[in-house]
Amino acid sequence: MAARNQQTSTLMLKSAGRPPWYAPDGKNLPAYVVGIAGGSASGKTSVARRIVESMNVPWVVILSMDSFYRRLTPEESKRAFENNHDFDHPLSYDFESALRALSDLKQGKAVHIPQYDFSTHSPSSQSQYLYGASVIIFEGIFALYDPAILQMVDVKIFVDTDSDICLARRIKRDVAERGRDPLGVLQQYDRFVKPAYDGFVRPTMSNADVIIPRGLDNQVAIDLMIQHIKRQLDEHNATIMRPVLVGQYDGSSAQDGLAPTLVTVPQTSQVRAMQTILCDRSTPRGDFIFYSDRLSRLVIEHGLSLLPLKKRTVQTPTGLSYEGYEMEAEVTGVTVLRAGGVMEKALRSVARTAHYGKILIVGDPATHEPRLHYAKLPPSIERHQVLLMDPTIVSGANAMMAIRICLDHGVSEGSIVFVSLLATPQGVHAIQTAFPLVRLVVALLDSRIGKDDLLVKSGYGVFGDRYFGTEC
Amino acid sequence: MSLSAQAVGHARLHQLAQTHQLKALMTIIRDQNTPRGDFVFYSDRVIRLLVEEGLNYLPVVNKEVITPMGVPFQGVAFEGRICGVSIMRAGESMEQGLRDVCTSVRTGKVLIQRDERTAQPKLYYSKLPKDIANRWVLLLDPMLATGGSAIKCIEVLLEAGVKEERILFINLICSPEGALAMLEQFPKLQIITAEIDEGMDQQKFILPGLGDFGDRYFGTED
Repeated sequence: MAARNQQTSTLMLKSAGRPPWYAPDGKNLPAYVVGIAGGSASGKTSVARRIVESMNVPWVVILSMDSFYRRLTPEESKRAFENNHDFDHPLSYDFESALRALSDLKQGKAVHIPQYDFSTHSPSSQSQYLYGASVIIFEGIFALYDPAILQMVDVKIFVDTDSDICLARRIKRDVAERGRDPLGVLQQYDRFVKPAYDGFVRPTMSNADVIIPRGLDNQVAIDLMIQHIKRQLDEHNATIMRPVLVGQYDGSSAQDGLAPTLVTVPQTSQVRAMQTILCDRSTPRGDFIFYSDRLSRLVIEHGLSLLPLKKRTVQTPTGLSYEGYEMEAEVTGVTVLRAGGVMEKALRSVARTAHYGKILIVGDPATHEPRLHYAKLPPSIERHQVLLMDPTIVSGANAMMAIRICLDHGVSEGSIVFVSLLATPQGVHAIQTAFPLVRLVVALLDSRIGKDDLLVKSGYGVFGDRYFGTEC
Repeated sequence: MSLSAQAVGHARLHQLAQTHQLKALMTIIRDQNTPRGDFVFYSDRVIRLLVEEGLNYLPVVNKEVITPMGVPFQGVAFEGRICGVSIMRAGESMEQGLRDVCTSVRTGKVLIQRDERTAQPKLYYSKLPKDIANRWVLLLDPMLATGGSAIKCIEVLLEAGVKEERILFINLICSPEGALAMLEQFPKLQIITAEIDEGMDQQKFILPGLGDFGDRYFGTED
């Protein structure tokens, strides 16, 4: 179940969807950070992996200090190849970058972690994208060294393993995985590793909450540790939102109490006729698809008309000028799968140059709580106007998660327009409460739905089932 | 009051909502430097909006349906049969936009050219659905300049038995003179357009306009 990348010491578990990581007010709850320090080859990574596996918590990330080696000067690089550079000195690390990455991850933002190539002693051209960690395990010889980083760490662990065991492991690892010769490793150990450990690493033991002697062999200490982390996480999660939105909205008629960020497309006779077809349970699937597509196109056009434009004057073939407009920024369409894909088709047919992101959110069958399974967004999304698409907003829980993901990737609230064919006032209210600047465009505000089913069904029934033919 | 202002305020001349987004689309199709692929794409996009708007002037009847939740929903249903009639050749560019929205819609075609002798528009060809007298007609021609050919076409439709109040003339750009003249001559006609321009030049091209729509759409400019 663990997708692991041994080369980069980064581990991400994705087997289960990620439950909400934010409070009902839309703000992220900080991720829980476990710091693990210890001497070189003392078993930090193994302890980290053991914790991850035993806890069985999805959405855990291991962030390694190895990713934050400072870029070497040409001279240092030359020395490094001669096994004559002190990689174990605090000056070899870029604590500032490490702090920034850790802080962003803790706040729930998506980050790109640089990758260090041990065979060339330089940062590789690739970086690793990390997003969606509820628990971050931060490990490295100096994990408990920097005062600012210590502030971020919720529980601090020091792995204390006998130095002869460490040395034996180190020789084995460096020869097998990093292409060094044993003599060079020994030389480096004497000159740098040992003095650094005694001078800089070992003293950070006093910053630790827990010291684990003998590393991975110490099952008792690790078990105690895991129980402690689990208890803290349960407290942490208790504050996270549950989909109890029914009853929070008390407007008497549909539009009452909803903020003006909600825009309803003009209720023309055609729009109403299309809505009638979509709401009719006896509508055959062919018609349901056709009118969903047709209505989507109108809603998308309406959503696009809310995006900012700037003035542009052109010459017409008659030689006169026309004072017009043009789009100010690029557009990214983000679909909330699976039903959102229906609207992507409509956007594609009007905005040829748009970028597309996709988010898969699935409701937990028992609680209907949304679970994030997949998110892939264009890298430059923070500079784009974002059209978020989902044909229905019922409880608003999925929409809130989708908005939260966009914000975590650097999009500002004011740049998001959420387009939908049908929304309930309850759902709109929940979204507006959490994200007051996000604009919503809907073709039908539907308040005539049974309260019991509010969390999953709308006047359309289950949209995706009717469109894709998966009702039974 | 200027002609443009009169046209904008006319009860039977319906302009699309004048959003900046629509202006951005019109900016592209009016720009003389726009490549043809973009001209066709963005014209089609405006045409789709026009067709959607035009259909709103068709009648609907109240209809109650039961939703999948078992709850009644008070809605409406389309009422009345329609057909499209395009004025060749530029009007044909708008047919696909209509068919995208009303699948299998019947479409008539009319060819009207200026008679070199009389300088009046003359009917050369028309092929209309047989039962057109019982239908609503969406009349398609992208540019309304003097309205000469559109007027001629409406006369053909009326002769075929179409009721004047059932004709919706859909175009992208109209001149105020042409639109007002048509609305006066046909007191029950409705016009749906994207933008109302300032006027016409000596050769009866709309100003600022976009040049010859058919030539730019079909790629037959010099």
